[in-house]
Amino acid sequence: MTDPGAARILEGGYRRYDGVRSGARGAVESVALHTAQRALGLRRAARFKVLPVLAAVLAYVPAIVYAGLAVLLPGDLTENGVLPTYAQYYFFITAAIVVFTAFVAPEVLCTDRRTGMIGLYLASPLTRTTYLVAKATAVLGVLAVVTLGPPLFLLLAYVLVGSGPDGPVSVAAFVLRIVAAGTLLSAFFGSLSMAVSSITDRKAAASAAVVILLLLSAVVTNSLVEAAGASPTLLLANLFELPFEAVVRVFGEPSDNPELGRLATPVVVGATVAWTLAASALVWLRYRALEVTR
Amino acid sequence: MADAPATEVAAGEGVLKRFGSTVALSSATFRIESGVTGLLGPNGSGKTTLIGLLLGLHRADAGRVSVLGLDPARLGTAVRERVGYAPEHHRLPPDVKAQDFVRHICEIHGLPPREAAARASDALWQVGLGEERFRPLGTLSTGQRQRVKMAQAVAHDPALVLLDEPTDGLDPVQRDQMLALIRRVADEFEIDVVLSSHLLDEVERICDAAVILSEGAVVAGGTLEELRGDHDGLVVELTVGADAFVAWLRRAGCEVAPDGHRLVVTRGRAAADHDLADLVRDATVAAEAQLRRLVPRTVSLEEVFLDVSA
Repeated sequence: MTDPGAARILEGGYRRYDGVRSGARGAVESVALHTAQRALGLRRAARFKVLPVLAAVLAYVPAIVYAGLAVLLPGDLTENGVLPTYAQYYFFITAAIVVFTAFVAPEVLCTDRRTGMIGLYLASPLTRTTYLVAKATAVLGVLAVVTLGPPLFLLLAYVLVGSGPDGPVSVAAFVLRIVAAGTLLSAFFGSLSMAVSSITDRKAAASAAVVILLLLSAVVTNSLVEAAGASPTLLLANLFELPFEAVVRVFGEPSDNPELGRLATPVVVGATVAWTLAASALVWLRYRALEVTR
Repeated sequence: MADAPATEVAAGEGVLKRFGSTVALSSATFRIESGVTGLLGPNGSGKTTLIGLLLGLHRADAGRVSVLGLDPARLGTAVRERVGYAPEHHRLPPDVKAQDFVRHICEIHGLPPREAAARASDALWQVGLGEERFRPLGTLSTGQRQRVKMAQAVAHDPALVLLDEPTDGLDPVQRDQMLALIRRVADEFEIDVVLSSHLLDEVERICDAAVILSEGAVVAGGTLEELRGDHDGLVVELTVGADAFVAWLRRAGCEVAPDGHRLVVTRGRAAADHDLADLVRDATVAAEAQLRRLVPRTVSLEEVFLDVSA
């Protein structure tokens, strides 16, 4: 039995903290992780998990089906066209990418401004720039769930059943291309969605605006080029199809879009990068001018 | 109140801040020492702008600001790492639990995850939130949310906390509790506090010093004693001989002003070299007056504020 005389009151009131602090880098990591968790609905009510789960299902189910087919059917099924190539696979998961694009950045940026968290973040070691770096990292990470994960899963499945590239060098080359393509898509759609989200505090309005912007740009540019005979260069403003065309070029595959296919690879990839940079610049300019202390 | 010698926590010299064509702060010069300091002024006087400058969120168009010996415009990250901040607004992420919210704020101020979780729990307990700390912020009352804002401001062990209108939206009981808590933060937690308020009485109740702002200008600053210091005088109540008493004092160079049934006696220029109490004694004897009450004149912060604002 414990000696009653040895009992002590351990509640010592407010404690000082003399340990090491992680500074701005730790703040960026913490905000990025916290933001990604919230965007994926982790540590939140069930209703916040619906969209992330739906997008993940849309992105991974085709990959699981194709992996199953690869197991069941003999031969190199990508070579003979039975299974889609890595670039073609993105066309099957376009819906998942659009859902995530329309949902993630508004959740990540608009919420902070509406709830006043932005003021608390900027009263920490974060600056506006490092805050945006943290948020962009989270958006890229979450989008990578649908842009990077499924093709990597598909590659792994194909390799395991002998339908994938042969040898470690060839596999590594495909991994690099998948990472490049996934990063390109995540950066493009993430920056675009962040740019729209920097303009309004309303999540629903931002999400709707992202979808409308993507679809409208496709409809308008395709109509002008195909129906009105405008220059294919105009398709560089097709924000819906342009990044997927860039992905096709990253994998060195022939284009499925005859008009976009007439444009040179550096032009397509350059335009995709230029849109990404322009959208990022808009976000930065919007946040530079943001009033945060109220 | 702390007896330790005051050290400079923050200071500004000739600070000018414009937002477009609006001058938010004009030639503001101030010095904030350890303890609890109130930024006092009506809405729109520049209090929140000053807090923004102290946090390094704005850059002064002219002048110099220092916080904890650092320039927040150049070393904002280092300053903000050591400063806690509770904003004026009550909007907080509604679906985040209070414990998770405070832990996250600790983490972005550089604390390791385990330490952040422990300190978040401690801080919420210290501000009076027990089981409520596991509830989402959206389900808490305004008073509880103010406490959560206080907890997140102090949980990461800052050297200074900036509280923007910390009693806004609170009922009288909650307000008293919050003011007591702010005083505890300074006295027990040993964290210096700067709070902005447009309520004179709450600054008077808990602050050691005040910086008074009006229309973007710092019109006065110092300890409450210093601010009241220019308003010395005596309050006298007589039962007999008031007219002769007043006449005698005025001949001696004092200023005498009736205030209800009392007389407020202050030293005029001609009586500057005399002790006021001696003059009152002599006047009482000379006028054969009967003295009922003699007390030092106390000046409220409201009088100081109205005086300097005018």
